[in-house]
Amino acid sequence: MTIQSIIKLIRNNLILAGIVVLVIVTSLIEPKFLTGANIENIIRQFGTLIFVALGMTFVIMAGFIDLSVGGIISLVAVVTVTLIDKIGQGPAIMIGISIGLICGLLNSFLIITSGALTQAEALFLTYGMSLVYGAVAQIYVQGVTQFLTYSKTSISLFDAINSGSIGIVSISFIIFLVCLLILYIVEKRTYIGRSVVLVGGNKVAARLAGVPISKSIVFIYAVSGVMTAIGSVILVARVTLASPVMGTPYMTQAILAVVVGGTALMGGKGSVLWTVMGTLLLILMGNCLNLMGVTTYIQYMLRGAILILAIWLDNRKQFSEGN
Amino acid sequence: MITNIKEYITKILSLQKAFLAILLVVFIMALFNLNPKTHSEFFSSYNFIDLLKSNSIYLILGLGQTIVLVAGGVDLSIGGVMTVSGIVAIQLINSGVPIPIAIIICIVLGMAVGAINAYISVYQKTEPFIITLGMGVLLTGVAQQLTDAHPVSVDFSYSEDFLNLSNYKLFGQIPVLIIVMLVVLAVIYWVLRSTSFGRNCYAIGGDYEVAKYSGINVLRNKSLPYLISGMTAALSGVMLSSQLNAGNSIFGDVTALYVVCAVVVGGTSVAGGIGGAFKSAIGLVLLGLLSNAFNMLRIDTYVPYLPTALQGLIIVAIIWADCYGRKRKREEV
Repeated sequence: MTIQSIIKLIRNNLILAGIVVLVIVTSLIEPKFLTGANIENIIRQFGTLIFVALGMTFVIMAGFIDLSVGGIISLVAVVTVTLIDKIGQGPAIMIGISIGLICGLLNSFLIITSGALTQAEALFLTYGMSLVYGAVAQIYVQGVTQFLTYSKTSISLFDAINSGSIGIVSISFIIFLVCLLILYIVEKRTYIGRSVVLVGGNKVAARLAGVPISKSIVFIYAVSGVMTAIGSVILVARVTLASPVMGTPYMTQAILAVVVGGTALMGGKGSVLWTVMGTLLLILMGNCLNLMGVTTYIQYMLRGAILILAIWLDNRKQFSEGN
Repeated sequence: MITNIKEYITKILSLQKAFLAILLVVFIMALFNLNPKTHSEFFSSYNFIDLLKSNSIYLILGLGQTIVLVAGGVDLSIGGVMTVSGIVAIQLINSGVPIPIAIIICIVLGMAVGAINAYISVYQKTEPFIITLGMGVLLTGVAQQLTDAHPVSVDFSYSEDFLNLSNYKLFGQIPVLIIVMLVVLAVIYWVLRSTSFGRNCYAIGGDYEVAKYSGINVLRNKSLPYLISGMTAALSGVMLSSQLNAGNSIFGDVTALYVVCAVVVGGTSVAGGIGGAFKSAIGLVLLGLLSNAFNMLRIDTYVPYLPTALQGLIIVAIIWADCYGRKRKREEV
């Protein structure tokens, strides 16, 4: 094994290399890193972000983008929490997830009817919708933060989602694994999943080849809406309240996780598994910096720098492959 | 004859949707004013100047953004640049740097950020909006680090001069901020309209490859807009700090998306090659006018947060119409 082939291996698996380096460095600096409590903490932090990012992966793979996730999280959260006392927990969660689905369908309806083909057009349409969803959430609760209460039942689904576990695996982690498995099979093994990738690769060629573009657009935004709604329910279970502005930070973080994972922003290349790696890298980094006592402000700066660096490196890799 | 009129109407409708929307808003407000119950101060010179003043910051940002969009790029770091430059201006002045030098330092800072954006997105051929989005996140972190996430303001001994920078009223009623905005508008209009650089921007935004083979220095001409946008963003940051005598790391959070949306609403295409200074100004004024009109009608007191929802719907509607127009054009060809 020559040095060149090692360099090539690292360059092709940059994210994995990053994760390994982070784990080694952090566990050397801070022995607390590899304790059970911290690993549990890391898995817990996977929470909302990974669900939103998994949905976003499909959207970005098809060459579009969904900025409305922030608004959807807020809307689903407030609706779910206020409905618990009226119709019970299970139905409330179901309605919350259907609202996510409806929001996603609405996005895709706007994009298909307007004939938006570029990422930039989708960006502004979904940003406008994000304002609308956020404002609807505000109007619905009159701007008041809603607290999670279970006055009528003793068994709590939300408690189970937040802290329950089967054996040593927490329930939220199981939900994540199930979602990941379904999305992975859909991406690799189904007609619609392959169409999404083809649409992202080249829209004109996809249309000429008879790939159903409109169907793919409906599918990606519906997936994004549903996954965001699931993320929102998990967020509610974790923080036990619902505020109409709680979704805002997830918009950029989800895009960051997807892109750091290596999914091409131009579309046509990507995988939900890469997104899991990207999210893991981001969370490990945050955890590592927290353990070393770096302030959140500097973490913010680093997040921006990593986003720029990830795109830049990915771009250079594609160029060198092209030559 | 009838088909002529029909063509004429469709032509007007496709030309300036935002301007028509402004006329519609003014007309509706005039109708509301007829009823003494809903009569408001909408048609007063005070409200007009207030409307311009409260949107001047956005206008300055939007004008710089226009050149970037015309050249086929996009700059989402303007919110971050604005925040950082406003904070740096205040901190420099507090540490004894004369005000003009502080302003120049801020503007150079903005141009430096623009240069980095340009290098990575133009010379390295990456997707500009994610690069500049990352830059915006990074700069927000810088702003938090500089201020420890607390608001900052200029010391009392310097504050009068600094506040006058945008609040001093010329002729007794027009704040300097509006004059600065008008100067920026005139300069950007002139640059896009009458300089070879401006015309090159349209060519590059229209078709990058064609512009390249026509002998235009595409790399340099596509980079310069980012520097200009950084410059206007830094300028608006200083003016904002002076207007409020405050710098805060949360100011620029959603500014960039709002401004780009408003510019696009005005008729500048996100695909590049189409747009202009006045179009952008109209888009920004429309969004400002809407929130002004909503305030005047006190919609907030009937249904809180309804204005935000309506604003979002109007952004969606106009961008939808814009996309739909392009789709129709594609299908005709």
